[in-house]
Amino acid sequence: MKNRGKCRFAGTHYNRSAALCYHCCMQIEALGLVKVFPAPLFSGGRPLRALDGLDLTAAQGVTGLEGPNGSGKTTLLRTLAGILRPDGGALSADGETAAPERLRTLAALCPANPRTFYFRLSALENLRFFGALAGLAPAVSKERALALAGRLALSAEDLERRFDRLSEGNMQKVSLIRAFSRRTPALFLDEPFRGLDEKARAGLLELIAETGRGSAVLLSSHLPELLRAAASRVIKVEAGRTL
Amino acid sequence: MTAFRVITAFIRRDFLSERSYRLSFALGALATLANLAVFYFIGELFGPALAPGLAPYGTGYFAYVFTALAFFGYIGTGAGSYAGRLRQEQTQGTLEAELSTPLGILPFLAAMSAWNFVFATFELAVYALAGLFLFRLRLPAANWPLAALVFVLSAACFAALGVISSCFVVLFKRGNPVAWVLNNFEGLLGGVYFPVAVLPGWLLAVSKLLPVTYAVRAFQLAVHRGADFSEVKGDLAALFAFDLVLVPAGVWLFSLAVNRARKTGTLGEY
Repeated sequence: MKNRGKCRFAGTHYNRSAALCYHCCMQIEALGLVKVFPAPLFSGGRPLRALDGLDLTAAQGVTGLEGPNGSGKTTLLRTLAGILRPDGGALSADGETAAPERLRTLAALCPANPRTFYFRLSALENLRFFGALAGLAPAVSKERALALAGRLALSAEDLERRFDRLSEGNMQKVSLIRAFSRRTPALFLDEPFRGLDEKARAGLLELIAETGRGSAVLLSSHLPELLRAAASRVIKVEAGRTL
Repeated sequence: MTAFRVITAFIRRDFLSERSYRLSFALGALATLANLAVFYFIGELFGPALAPGLAPYGTGYFAYVFTALAFFGYIGTGAGSYAGRLRQEQTQGTLEAELSTPLGILPFLAAMSAWNFVFATFELAVYALAGLFLFRLRLPAANWPLAALVFVLSAACFAALGVISSCFVVLFKRGNPVAWVLNNFEGLLGGVYFPVAVLPGWLLAVSKLLPVTYAVRAFQLAVHRGADFSEVKGDLAALFAFDLVLVPAGVWLFSLAVNRARKTGTLGEY
């Protein structure tokens, strides 16, 4: 029993003599990643090559992504999160080929657009629902939501408020809570500072730093100071490739 | 993650959402009763003597159409709700968020329309109460165990058709030929409003390609005449064969459609 530890992500036990837990030392690697969006049928348009042989390694810690609009940052994060299927290249998690199904278990994504919730439900009900889809019990979802809301300067009243009555900034906070509360070994944040006030930005920087101690955190932002404050290394993405 | 937790979460979500539209909820229930009243007065106007096509069922027009509507209303939930739900999720931007989680296709399909079935059960209860107390409908000969078997086989079949129909929503967003056939021809050719025996020969042949024809006939015979298993075994075999093909095909095609949308990046589009 002395050699057994408990994974803080999966709740499962692992053998300490075999280095770190499989979940806690996640390294996601992309090699020659290609993602092409086909033109709509009969549109006369041309396919869009959003990722063009991109290489990237995201290990424990915080990695920043910067690059101009349309450079492929969002497509990269959505592909690494298992939402999109790549058209070429290899994706692996801890050296093993990772299919999108596995990536969706290992990673959580906070999308750039926070309007991906049920507008007629309260923020808390939304978090409870999406928590259930990620395997969280309702009580756990609520507990985590309340704790994270405090860190992001979102009041308990706002958590109980219907989602369509929240400000854009507060919608963004709820979206961040949804991603952070999953406690996955990999966390991807697409423009996470958008719309946040100063207090929430400070809270988010703290949360990112804490999460990066145990997970691979990858975030994109067009705010260079915040990106550098959050990430220990920053990678530039341009024309679907890392520079 | 348990499928039960996911289904419960979907039902809770949809209940809370529906509850927030109170007027629509009340108007929906009233519309059901108004619809039934129309057929009641048609039945009153013509009387049972003018309906020889109903002789095999041993009942009058109102009783026939009442049970057919109640039955079809329930099993039709499966056919119509998947595409509708999916389209709603697309337009409000939540479909991609749902499918960004580890949620598998099977629990997703089981959960997506769970609320619709709960609500359809409630509507069925309204039908039953209205039939008993408002329209004084009695079904003394009914073979309920057989009716239940027809019900289960039919519900599975129509849910599978609904899943296949929703594949078009995933891929093309608008323009759904399966829903078009279901909406426009099931009532005409399926024997919901009148027995298919009154159709001309060529339409009768087309009606034999639709599962609703077997479902409604078997259900009506079981409920009105108390038919036994041997009398409807042909209809049951047809429904079973439809299930055998359509249920796995529905799940497989839906997986293909979602994977295709992940490939083209259109999962979040509408």
